Order: sequence, then structure tokens, then C-alpha cells
Amino acid sequence: MTDELLVVRCQLGEREAFAELVGIWNDPVWTYVRRMIGSSQADDVAQEVWLAVVRGLPRLKEPGRFAPWLFTIARRTVANRLREEYGRHEVLAEEEQATADPADALVDRTELLAGLSELPVREREILVLFYLEDLSLEDCAEICAIPVGTVKSRLSRARRMLRDHLTEKGHRR
Amino acid sequence: MNPDDMIGRLSGPLSLRSRIGNVVALLGGLGGALFIGLLWATEPVLPGRTHLAFGALVALGLAWAGYGTWALTRRTPLFALDRVIAAWLAVTATGLLTAGTVAIAVARGTWVSAAGILVAVTLGAVALVILVRARAARAALLRRKRELGG
Repeated sequence: MTDELLVVRCQLGEREAFAELVGIWNDPVWTYVRRMIGSSQADDVAQEVWLAVVRGLPRLKEPGRFAPWLFTIARRTVANRLREEYGRHEVLAEEEQATADPADALVDRTELLAGLSELPVREREILVLFYLEDLSLEDCAEICAIPVGTVKSRLSRARRMLRDHLTEKGHRR
Repeated sequence: MNPDDMIGRLSGPLSLRSRIGNVVALLGGLGGALFIGLLWATEPVLPGRTHLAFGALVALGLAWAGYGTWALTRRTPLFALDRVIAAWLAVTATGLLTAGTVAIAVARGTWVSAAGILVAVTLGAVALVILVRARAARAALLRRKRELGG
């Protein structure tokens, strides 16, 4: 069953459809939240995300675009939590020059997971969305409210930072 | 946390009883406050304590209406079926309110009671429009569900 059909059924008020939707998307949301803010707060923040989803679902205009909408909510919830935590505003929108996406420069998934927590929020976020959640560049751009070119340059910088970090730690193969 | 645990944590906003309860609080509070307010306004002579009692009842009704409005706009999602149920409740409540105001107007015959009828009929018309829109929105979603093979 497609996400769109599930969302339409949810909007009609079918509770079992909502249970299916949570069954499919709970793990991706939880993974995103855990990678962004750590395990200790992941359950509470994931619950906040789902509460916002429940409240916003009746007004979702494009059920077929559920995934980017969901991660936009997750991102906002995480940003609010980080803001509370650090007492400072994360500047998340930044215009940058687009650069090419060097496919051969990808670090592998295991290394990425190990080094993610050491990266700054913005770089960590884009790596999680693109590599762990398998979202497209366009979806990442919509979620982060930035142009696709900025997503590419941010990904490039994030990979470089991650590689540098792992090299420092002696993980380079 | 697994999906079942998460669904358990969301049982409050997902409860139909809680969502419809908030609609009932809004309609009951607003309808009650208007009806009692109209009775209060059309009573010719009242002792001071009765004025206080009427005022307290109107305030109580408005408080429930305020709570229902806050809950429906900020905390409780209304899905398509809920909206249809809520709209039918609103049509019923405004129908009862209109009947009540007509009864008061017949008994008292003042301009205030006539104004009460006007307010009740206007609210009834708004409720009917909400009902028509809610049914149309639900029908559109049901059509989309069929198109998607559901």
C-alpha cells in the first residue's frame, strides 16, 4: 500500500491506517532523531514528532508528499529541542554555491554512523537525511528549506568533514 | 521505541471520544451561554443574587466554549469523519438553540428575544455550511481512496 493511500485513509479517520503509517515510518523517524540528538532524548522527541504529525495530518494538502512533510516536522522538532538545549538559535538556512557531487568520495555506511555524532548539526542532518533515510536531493532540499545546489554543497562539505574526522581517529582504510 | 509503544503514547489525540468531547464542550458551552444569556436579558425584574447566578452560568458556558475552541484549534486533530460528526452536532445544537429562542420570543415578545432568534438562525446557517463542506471534503477523500485502490 502506498504512503499516499495510507495518508488518505488517515485523513478519513481510519485509526488502523494510522497504526500502519506509524509502523512504517516510526523507525526512520526514530533513527533520524537519535542521530541528531542522541538516544537519551530520542523517545520523547520522536513522540513530539508524531504528535505534531497527528495534529497536522488533516491539513496535509499533498498526501503523496508525506515523507518530506514528515521529516520537515521531525527537523523542526529536533531544532526546537536543540535550541532549548544549547540556548542558541541554529541558523539553518544558508545560501551557498552549488558544487558537483563526487560519487566516488562516499564514505561507507559504517564509518558514517560512527563519525556522525561528532559533526555539527547542519552537516549531520544532511548526511542522515540523504544516506540513512535515503531521501532524494529534492526531498532533502524541501525538508531543509534550501536549494538543491546547497544540499549538494552541504553534503560535499559534510562528507569531507566526516572523512577528516575519521582520518584523525585512524579509521582510514 | 517500537511502533506499538508509539501508538500507545498517541492514544489521547487519536481517541474519537476525546475529539468529539471537545466539540461537545464547544457547542454545549456556546449554546448554553447564549440561551441562558437570552433568558437573563429578557427577564423583566430580577433580584441581585439571581443576576449573579445568571452571570456565573453564562461565564461557565463561555469557559467551556473557550476550552473547546482552544482544544480543537491547538491540540485535537479533526479528521474527515470527525468533521462530519462535529458538523451534525453543530446543526443539532443550533437547531435546539433556535427552538429555544423562538420559545422565549413567543413568551416574552421583546426585541432582545427577536435578536436572539437572528443570532441562532445565523449560527444555524454557519453550521449548515460547515456540514456541506465537511461532507464534500470527506467525499473527495473517499474518491481519492478508491482511485488509489483502497
